Amino acid sequence: MVKEEEDSSNRPDNTAFTQQRLPAWQPILSAGIVIPGFVLIGLAFIGIGVGLFLTSRDIQVLEMDYTGADGSSPCSVCYNLADKNCVCTMSFSIDSLIKGPVFFYYGLTNYFQNQRRYGVSRDDKQLYGDTSNFASPNSECAPYQYISNVPIVPCGSVANSMFNDTFELFKNVNGQSLPVPLDGKGIAWWTDYNVKFQNPNVTPLINAFNGTVRPPFWSKNVYELDTTDASNNGFINQDFLVWMRRAALPDFRKLYRRITDGDYSAGLPAGNYSLKIHYNYPVNGFGGKKKVVFSNVSWMGGKNEFLGIAYLVIGSLCVVMSVVMLIVYAKFKFPEDN
Amino acid sequence: KGLNYLSQRAREKELRSLVSNLPYEGQEKGKQPNRFFSSNSIKTTKYSPLFFIPMNLYEQFHRLANVYFVGLAILNFIPVVNAFQPEVALIPICVILSLTALKDAWEDFRRYQSDRKVNNTPCFVYSRMEKQFVERRWKDARVGDFVKVVCNEIVPADLLLLHSSDPNGVCYIETANLDGETNLKQRTVANGLCTSNFNCKVVCEKPNNNLNHFKCYLEKPNEEKVGAGIESLLLRGCTVRNTNHAVGFVVYAGHETKSMLNNNGSRYKRSKLERKLNIDVFFCVILLFTMCLIGALGHFLWLESLPGVPPYLVPDSSGHLDSPGLTSFYMFFTMIILLQILIPIALYVSIELVKIGQIFFITNDLDLYDEETDSRMQCRALNITEDLGQIEYIFSDKTGTLTENKMVFRRCSVMGTEFPHKENDGKLVQQIKRAESSSRRGGGRKIHPYLDFFLALTICNTVMVSMATAKRERVSDLFCQRKPKRNRTRSEDPAVGSAKMESAADTNGVQTCSLHPLSQRDRPAAASQSLHYEAQSPDEAALVHAARAYGFILLARTPDTVSVRLPSGQVLDFEVLDTLTFDCTRKRMSVLVRHPVTRECVLYTKGADYAIMELLGTPYAEHLSGNQKDVAAVTQHHLDCYAKEGLRTLCVAKKVVSEDVYRSWLVDRKRAQASMDNREQLIMETSVQLETDLTLLGATGIEDRLQESVPETTVALREAGIHVWVLTGDKPETAVNIGYACRLLEEEDLVINMSCKNKLKHFYFIQLTCTSILDCTLEEVRRYEEDPCNVDTTQNIALVIDGNTVSMALSPDLQDRFVDLAKRCRTVLCCRVTPLQKSEVVKLIREKLKVMTLAVGDGANDVNMIQAADVGIGISGQEGMQAVMASDFAISRFKHLRKLLLVHGHWCYTRLANMIIYFFYKNAYVNLLFWYQFFCGFTGTAMIDYWLMIFFNLFFTSVPPIMFGIFDKDVSAEVLMGVPELYRMGQGKGEYNFLSFWISILDAFYQSLVCFFIPYLAYQDSDVDMFTFGTPMNTVALFTILLHLSIEIKSWTLVHWITMLGSVGLYFIVTLAYNATCITCNPPSNPYWILQSQMADPMFYLICTISTVAALLPRYLILPASNSISPSPLLQGRLLDRRDPDTKALRIQEWRGFRGGGEQVKRYRLSPPPSPTLDTPVDYVPEFDLTGDDFSLNVITHQSTVHT
Repeated sequence: MVKEEEDSSNRPDNTAFTQQRLPAWQPILSAGIVIPGFVLIGLAFIGIGVGLFLTSRDIQVLEMDYTGADGSSPCSVCYNLADKNCVCTMSFSIDSLIKGPVFFYYGLTNYFQNQRRYGVSRDDKQLYGDTSNFASPNSECAPYQYISNVPIVPCGSVANSMFNDTFELFKNVNGQSLPVPLDGKGIAWWTDYNVKFQNPNVTPLINAFNGTVRPPFWSKNVYELDTTDASNNGFINQDFLVWMRRAALPDFRKLYRRITDGDYSAGLPAGNYSLKIHYNYPVNGFGGKKKVVFSNVSWMGGKNEFLGIAYLVIGSLCVVMSVVMLIVYAKFKFPEDN
Repeated sequence: KGLNYLSQRAREKELRSLVSNLPYEGQEKGKQPNRFFSSNSIKTTKYSPLFFIPMNLYEQFHRLANVYFVGLAILNFIPVVNAFQPEVALIPICVILSLTALKDAWEDFRRYQSDRKVNNTPCFVYSRMEKQFVERRWKDARVGDFVKVVCNEIVPADLLLLHSSDPNGVCYIETANLDGETNLKQRTVANGLCTSNFNCKVVCEKPNNNLNHFKCYLEKPNEEKVGAGIESLLLRGCTVRNTNHAVGFVVYAGHETKSMLNNNGSRYKRSKLERKLNIDVFFCVILLFTMCLIGALGHFLWLESLPGVPPYLVPDSSGHLDSPGLTSFYMFFTMIILLQILIPIALYVSIELVKIGQIFFITNDLDLYDEETDSRMQCRALNITEDLGQIEYIFSDKTGTLTENKMVFRRCSVMGTEFPHKENDGKLVQQIKRAESSSRRGGGRKIHPYLDFFLALTICNTVMVSMATAKRERVSDLFCQRKPKRNRTRSEDPAVGSAKMESAADTNGVQTCSLHPLSQRDRPAAASQSLHYEAQSPDEAALVHAARAYGFILLARTPDTVSVRLPSGQVLDFEVLDTLTFDCTRKRMSVLVRHPVTRECVLYTKGADYAIMELLGTPYAEHLSGNQKDVAAVTQHHLDCYAKEGLRTLCVAKKVVSEDVYRSWLVDRKRAQASMDNREQLIMETSVQLETDLTLLGATGIEDRLQESVPETTVALREAGIHVWVLTGDKPETAVNIGYACRLLEEEDLVINMSCKNKLKHFYFIQLTCTSILDCTLEEVRRYEEDPCNVDTTQNIALVIDGNTVSMALSPDLQDRFVDLAKRCRTVLCCRVTPLQKSEVVKLIREKLKVMTLAVGDGANDVNMIQAADVGIGISGQEGMQAVMASDFAISRFKHLRKLLLVHGHWCYTRLANMIIYFFYKNAYVNLLFWYQFFCGFTGTAMIDYWLMIFFNLFFTSVPPIMFGIFDKDVSAEVLMGVPELYRMGQGKGEYNFLSFWISILDAFYQSLVCFFIPYLAYQDSDVDMFTFGTPMNTVALFTILLHLSIEIKSWTLVHWITMLGSVGLYFIVTLAYNATCITCNPPSNPYWILQSQMADPMFYLICTISTVAALLPRYLILPASNSISPSPLLQGRLLDRRDPDTKALRIQEWRGFRGGGEQVKRYRLSPPPSPTLDTPVDYVPEFDLTGDDFSLNVITHQSTVHT
């Protein structure tokens, strides 16, 4: 009556992994090693910096404030929005040609589109053309969800607060005001226009909005935003799309139009211009400013000298540091360094 | 309900009375008399499948961090304060909880499997109906059953032994499963029982976890009570050996068995690093709250500054706007949710993962594997690996820790004459021959002391004899398996080859395997060659083997008799009347036998010298006869010399007990044995009663060899800045000697010896004297330190202090002085200390000096100390597993400590420390969101999509730091072993300290500023939208975080490359896929096509490049510069790694020669030169002597020694 017992060895495996002997690269950072890196980065950055700086300097920008808060502006009559449909005109002259294509922006300051509650107050499904969300908008839209139990479409604060100043640009030639054609297409993201925002599949469009009401601040219904062009109407109206893409910072500009057509494809020539502004959007509630910007763009976007300068500064810093490192290296190199 | 109450009462009663189940066999459960006691099936699983989730969650919520994060997630469900969609905030905590739950479930499943296997093991239970033992499962055995166990079977429950196949009624068991002791233990059948018709009642105590103690009595129908103890109990988990079969009565089953009560799983300790970490987490909380307060205040000011109601301010559903104050109050909580990542949520789970990896590598280290015992390093505490890298004080046991605990008989002193135990020295043999012939002439009436001495050695022990034929099966296996190994070791050991006598007495190696051939001089009968001695203590084995070498052969031992063959060939059968077993208080053991020739009752006693010397006659010398006094004095001198030589000493004494005395004593003894209350105490008292007026026979000196590489290890530890203390129960002389041998003491050291010899004086007086001694010593030491001629020498101070003095030094008044003195000493040897004092010393040093302590020991007497220290290390050696059970780490040799601390400790610590620092840094990345608050009116907006933000921490950047924590290797093992100095980096404050934490936080702040403001300035005044603005920042943060880690990674293996590149790849793949597929799936956040459009824009790359470079520039500047200007020792170590092996070895030596003050490791000599030998008795140089006899304070210097 004897039981058997098994015997197994406890010996650990002798592998490179278990014995922590895996082949490894063991770099040691020392002054000598980083010098080439610093020189290389420094020179490359200086190069890029010069390029960026020159590119940015070539960009021409014309910026005009039309808030009218200080009283000297032609638009100060409209500042308090005493009368509806207030129109004001600003005249300006351009000394030299602004090379095309010229982009026409409107800008707002102190406007917090990035406010959290404001940002979530929208219904993406509704804007995607989902009619089920027409009848019952997302609760995030509150208080712009229902008006006495009739759903608001498009619901939410973002849509409700849509910028509604409009502009017309005229060139004064020999006392005559010739309208400058403004292109309102292609100002929004391609994906917004084609994917994210879609009108419901109902013709005519107006039928989809039965039983809904427009946002309280709006003077027009969403299906009337551009009655002339069906492809720029409803949720895929490009002004609407531009507004709905929330700005990251409180001082922002948004693309209003592009000046690319006809005589102006080469840019805005020198001369006198007048800008007719339909002043509708109130700014006195947040102490902000409104402005219009005419600018041409490069491959790096609008005018911004910062990046070029930053590259130059960091690049030269790297070069200086490589010299410092060289001194350190000469004085303190490891005795073993060959 | 009533039944529950009954069963509870039955279980909690102090005494249980059990009856046999047989009469009730087959009856329903309610009628079973033993139904209240737990069944034999065990369940060690923590969870049941049905309730796993709630139970595991409950368990996990004991961790405060989890509660915090769940709280935040719930907070997010409150609409006024939420920052994200509520569900999103649940993701991280869910991932972390489920990761932990998975780990727990896996562990529990493994326990379940092993339980099932154990529960279904077959066993034999007696069935009355079938009138035989039938095969059942372990789980079916119940209290009150009769269970049969066969040879080599494991005992299924705690059994009271009733019958054994052995004619003497003994059953041998091996308790290796329980305590690791491989020697056989003998259990005897409980007295006076008839198994045929068992109608006794068994009354036993409540279950407890004491493996060496059991009390019960059997009450026969006639109300006669018979006591039984641990000697009749077969413990669950033991293996039956050498006995064909045995039958026992189940007294405890299942979870009430002693082995299960002892099994309390792995221990949880909090490491020093984690304690510091918690403080820093607390700082993070403060930081978070400050940031949130700033956010709330900012929001308030922002709201106040608005002139009117702007269109972007969203009123609540009723069109009402809350007051700015209230909104900012809500905003505070929103900010907490938004910035919660600042508290590193994944840190705790990452640390656990890293530690699992680290433990894997430690336990898999081949260098920590012991060939001989086939044991790996064991990590029993899973969460203090990094403490190994911060040790400042090591408290070591001596016997079995520094030494082998394999005893070799070296010298003996018989009746005042000293004999060496050597091959060519026939003196002793002649003496014995003369003694034999003289006693034969005396007609056997009077035994010659020389014969008595050896008889005592042979009889006075608990050594078991097993014959070759009855040998355990396992033994032969072992023998075959290990034979080649043994041969090799023997041929390497010149000591064994040259002295055969030694080898005869040598119990070196596996003593159960083979007996060394006896020398040709006295060849016993062939049969006795196959005798195997199974001793519980190595000392006893050494003595029995020594006696055997002189012809006194222990032939057999049963509970009642001992057979001894004398050199003359005569075999004497001694009747054993009683055995007074060894205990720590008496420090001796005795055997009371009846001499077969003289019929006298003789008590043979052996024990510690001081324990025996006190008992010689009366304490007053004049009562001793002239001869005795002389012998005692001479023997004492011999003992002192033995001790100085480093030998372990034992005294052997005898006493002839008259019949009357014996009879009256026996009555007391019986009464003591049958008592239930404080039985031990009573038994001990009866023992003390008998052990008086002893006659000294002689003394023995046994050598305990140092373990291999002990001196090298201690030297390395010392160079690593670790103070090594030795706490031993041995005499100061022995300790000092061992101290020199293992190079704790150096020849040129200043050794201060403090001892207090007389403990009878008034305590107050002693304390006073002790104070003045401490003061004087301190003064002396200070003077010594200040002495200009000692400044640049490497001379160091060592303190030798004995138990009595230690106990006084530990008193509250003297503590501070003692600690002050001790910290100036390089090493301290505490001698003759009790287990409790050991732990007190450890605690004192640990608390007063605020240092990391490590205790290492192998025996039960070290358990207290091991538990008191920050890190307890058990050595699985000769003395069973109690130390190992109590320890955090178990090693098999002392030398393993070197690699364990210097290499693994260092690695674990630096890896974990750097990982934690990095984690704090990484999480401070959330500052990006904070800076954005300044531009969004402090409204808690995130410019990064929530999902990406959560994934960022959870998946994109979490694996590289964990791999870094497991795999990184700053310096190679070779250099760490070669240059122990490098260990100092981890001591004290170490790499993870206040400064490094704040530097990393500040760096994170700087980097987040760069990462935010470069894109901000680049996009300022443009038509950038929110996610387009946030995406480059997120990308920059990813690159910055990973490139920051790549400075920290010291050695890049394939694993590092894969995880690093994998993280970047994962980020882009996941983000691109998410941005391409999610059109309206995650309202209101809508990051559709963001990264795609960004990646088509050159600005994105320009911004990412410059931000990353600018963020990392300071770190990449300062690090190489400081590396070049003042390379840290660790860096120098890394540089060494690059050299070819020869140069490396050379440089390591140079380095040590330069830094360590020329401490090349000298070759270890078996007998250290400075030790006084028998010819040159004492060379202490007392400098001042304070109070005469009671105290002595000696300062020994060995500057002049020329023994080299």
